[in-house]
Amino acid sequence: MTEKTDSKAADAEKSGRVAGVIVTHGHLASELLAAAEMIVGNVSHIAAVSIGWHDDVEVAHNEVERAMTRVSEGNGVLLLTDMFGGTPTNIASMFLAEGQVEVVTGVNLPMVIKLASQTERESLAEVAKRVRNQGQEGIYLAGDLLSPQKKS
Amino acid sequence: MVERRVVITNRLGLHARAAAQLVRTATRFQSFVRVERIDGSANADAKSILSVLMLAAAHGVELRLTAEGDDEREAIEELSSLFAGGFGEREP
Repeated sequence: MTEKTDSKAADAEKSGRVAGVIVTHGHLASELLAAAEMIVGNVSHIAAVSIGWHDDVEVAHNEVERAMTRVSEGNGVLLLTDMFGGTPTNIASMFLAEGQVEVVTGVNLPMVIKLASQTERESLAEVAKRVRNQGQEGIYLAGDLLSPQKKS
Repeated sequence: MVERRVVITNRLGLHARAAAQLVRTATRFQSFVRVERIDGSANADAKSILSVLMLAAAHGVELRLTAEGDDEREAIEELSSLFAGGFGEREP
């Protein structure tokens, strides 16, 4: 019983999260979101938009816009794109608006997980920075980790 | 504060699914819960999945769980039972 109350309280806290839309070439976006959902569960504040190689920019632009409206919880939307300089980033950048829409490029799974598991209420700018940092910190040369603490 | 030593018994180690289960369980408690490698080389906030994954704790690794708060005993019991049960994974 206490468990139920706890999860309800957790749900209430979750309203007003910074929402997200992953925008990528091909189906990267939906697969990243599916993987994050498997790991953290609740990702109702994040949507995925895949842009086909031959899609019309106008159509893609509208699709991103619709996704943003769908997931927004009133605390800003972070657009996560696959590659700086690519079409998804260029389309996402059209929405840039201080305090309301931010874009972070080079999306990877740790970044999506970070956005999915917001534990406290923070501004879009703060969350965007955290997501960016998490993405950078999640990249390792596994070989470098093993060498200093070699196992027997 | 209470603490308990646990060993990772499941074959895949503290991988994403197991780590998620650990975090979900830890989050149900008010106490601060930490997980650290016995050798002190890494430690994590048990309520943050990314933090737990950074432990890169494989099969056989020994960890120390610590909990501090009103429900620290219940927290440590439930969490250590996850490790003892190999996070529900069957041995092949």
